[in-house]
Amino acid sequence: MAVFLVIAYLFSKTPWFKPLTTESLRFRDKLYIYFFFSTISILGTYLGFPIHDAIANTRAIGPVLAGLVFGPVLGTATGLTGGLHRYFLGGFTAFSCGLSTTVEGTIGGLVHVYLVRKNKSRMIFDPKVAFVTTFFAEIVQMIIILLASRPLTDAVALVKVIAIPMILTSATGAALFLSIIRDQKNIYDRVAAVSSARAFKIAERTLNILSRGISRETAGDLAKIIREETGVGAVAITDKENVLAFEGEGSDHHIPGDPIASPLTKEAISENKVIFVDGVQDPYECPISDRCPLNSVLVVPLQIDQDVIGTIKLYEPKNRFFLNINKSLGEGIANLLSNQLLLARYEDQKNLLMTAELKLIQAQVNPHFLFNSLNTIISVIRSDSAKARDLLVNLANFFRKNLKRGGELTTLEDELDHVNSYLTIEKARFDDRLTVEMDIDPSLLKLQIPTFTLQPLIENAIKHGISNMLGPGKAKISAYRKGDSAVIEVEDNAGTYSQKKTADGLGINIVDKRIKNIFGRRYGTAVSCIPNEVTRVTVEVPAGGSGT
Amino acid sequence: MIRALVVDDEIHAREELNALLAETGEFAVIGTCANAVEAIQAINREKPDVVFLDIQMPVINGFELLSMIDEKIMPLIVFVTAYDEYALKAFDENALDYLLKPVDKERIVKTVRKLKTMLNEGGRPVYAGPDIRKIPCITTAGIKLINVSDVEYVRSNEAGVYIVCAKGEYFTDLTLKVLENRANLIRSHKQFLVNIDRVDEILFHDHMAADIKMKSGKTVPVSRRYLKLLREKLNF
Repeated sequence: MAVFLVIAYLFSKTPWFKPLTTESLRFRDKLYIYFFFSTISILGTYLGFPIHDAIANTRAIGPVLAGLVFGPVLGTATGLTGGLHRYFLGGFTAFSCGLSTTVEGTIGGLVHVYLVRKNKSRMIFDPKVAFVTTFFAEIVQMIIILLASRPLTDAVALVKVIAIPMILTSATGAALFLSIIRDQKNIYDRVAAVSSARAFKIAERTLNILSRGISRETAGDLAKIIREETGVGAVAITDKENVLAFEGEGSDHHIPGDPIASPLTKEAISENKVIFVDGVQDPYECPISDRCPLNSVLVVPLQIDQDVIGTIKLYEPKNRFFLNINKSLGEGIANLLSNQLLLARYEDQKNLLMTAELKLIQAQVNPHFLFNSLNTIISVIRSDSAKARDLLVNLANFFRKNLKRGGELTTLEDELDHVNSYLTIEKARFDDRLTVEMDIDPSLLKLQIPTFTLQPLIENAIKHGISNMLGPGKAKISAYRKGDSAVIEVEDNAGTYSQKKTADGLGINIVDKRIKNIFGRRYGTAVSCIPNEVTRVTVEVPAGGSGT
Repeated sequence: MIRALVVDDEIHAREELNALLAETGEFAVIGTCANAVEAIQAINREKPDVVFLDIQMPVINGFELLSMIDEKIMPLIVFVTAYDEYALKAFDENALDYLLKPVDKERIVKTVRKLKTMLNEGGRPVYAGPDIRKIPCITTAGIKLINVSDVEYVRSNEAGVYIVCAKGEYFTDLTLKVLENRANLIRSHKQFLVNIDRVDEILFHDHMAADIKMKSGKTVPVSRRYLKLLREKLNF
């Protein structure tokens, strides 16, 4: 018995044990498990001691555990192997013992199936379950011996002697064996959990930094975080030509800003491959200083869309081994950073696209408005030169604001000023066909909103709404507080909004996208339309910071 | 003097063009209209030589307006637009000319020359406008647009042309001829057009005459003259 446990313990410390801890098994792993437990079973036969022309033994442990942990197929196969082996050893219980070993493997397998079905697969690794299962399986074996061995009197005599010790020994052995497997599995799980936790922590800490792209400044922060989390001797980040950051031992001669000196890094960049120098057979030789303490290095390329944009390097000094876990972690980090960079680039492009769309819309809108406005003013000059002057000043103000709005955010007051210039001209154009009502909570005038939030909405209301009406058009702009939010509403009495009409949909979509980008998904625009009665566009932004 | 009508939904645009046309001394502006419905009435009534027509107008735009004018009284058309996205399209419509707002005084001189040449040659221009899908009708409340698919039939008498739908009938300024040619309504009688899609059955009488029973139960007369044509159209 003790021999067994020593074998189990030693085995659990070897890399051969690893397949037993994984969830999904390949065919090779299954074959391996089969051989392992079959050996255990056969060993159990040999390590037993002969009694009355039979063998008191722990042959059952292998098949029961194989069945319990890996299912009925492996259990039965293992049992059959152990059983066949026993059968050829002979004796008056040869057949019954051979058969019962197979049955015991199947019993283990059935318990496995039962636990999985009941969603209790955690209990598979419970030594108590192993004890009970083996206990029961061994009783079944005794019954089979009594039923299948002849002469019966010999069988009864044998069972009387071996039943209790065999049942107890096998059950206890199975329980202990399983607890060893379980402990080792837990250790593996914990190591995996610790390295995942470290990877997650690095991911979390680097996400914000990387959204700003890779530069001297962000690379310095990154290197510091990676060194803190991995605990390696030094971390360097390079672009394709220069060292961007260096943290840790050797920083006296590895200077950020210097061109890349190491041929390893150059190779990693040009070949787009991971390079590892373990420091044992193959020491890292610092190309800059021969007094450099660093001895081993991992160089992983950073890439965006298959283009190498730089490298991350992890070093260990002469007095430390480069841990395997840091090697895989290092490669993982480089992957992670590459993905984050891709994401950052994607975000950049999205913003660029949005700005481009916005500019396009402004450009599309303007010619029509411009020429009609000029036409109106030219006409007004004939009758009312003072009014014409006023309109021109407003037109100038409108275009100045259109051109000079580089910033992301502006105040509601500024937006309203822009809109008022626009409306003054539109009212002149449409004469009595357009009236505009304003209802603005004065405490919201300093409200921060994205530039070009209000103007496109008003322009939609007039261009796609009121200008298509034969009767009098009314537009209304209101701004009020609702809880922590500020709500701005633009409505017109044309009620012609339709989602299919891309022109107005596009303008509102861009306003919505920008608000969500800046303030989060809670905020944005909503449109409601009662045909021929009213179209109302509602904009919600956080009221915070507008002053009360 | 060239008898001109100015159609534009913006008052200042109308005033400015009026002033410019007056300055040339070549035009008698017989009216200004703020929308297509007013314009149809004015054209039917005044039969101007030329219409200065804005393209972007509420409800019925300049091109749609062209489809609603009887060919017999079709005036020459000069499109006036603020932005030249429509300019090429205007030429497709065989418009005589187009002007860009704000209108250059010197540019109008060229237009006058073209107009005079055309008027001397005589004959009516033909504009291939789009099919009519909505018929503008006059109600006490204002203007109502009736989808052609909702029309049962159209009748005319001394008072004018009436669009008859299941729900009621409405007065329109469009002529039977225009509706027949551009709205795909079928002539059944000198004074009637029917919407083929709304026909329930045709009841034959003696003397080669017939009545059409509409899906709403109303009946429309078919005259001998048009019965043959109707048979051809319906394949019976």
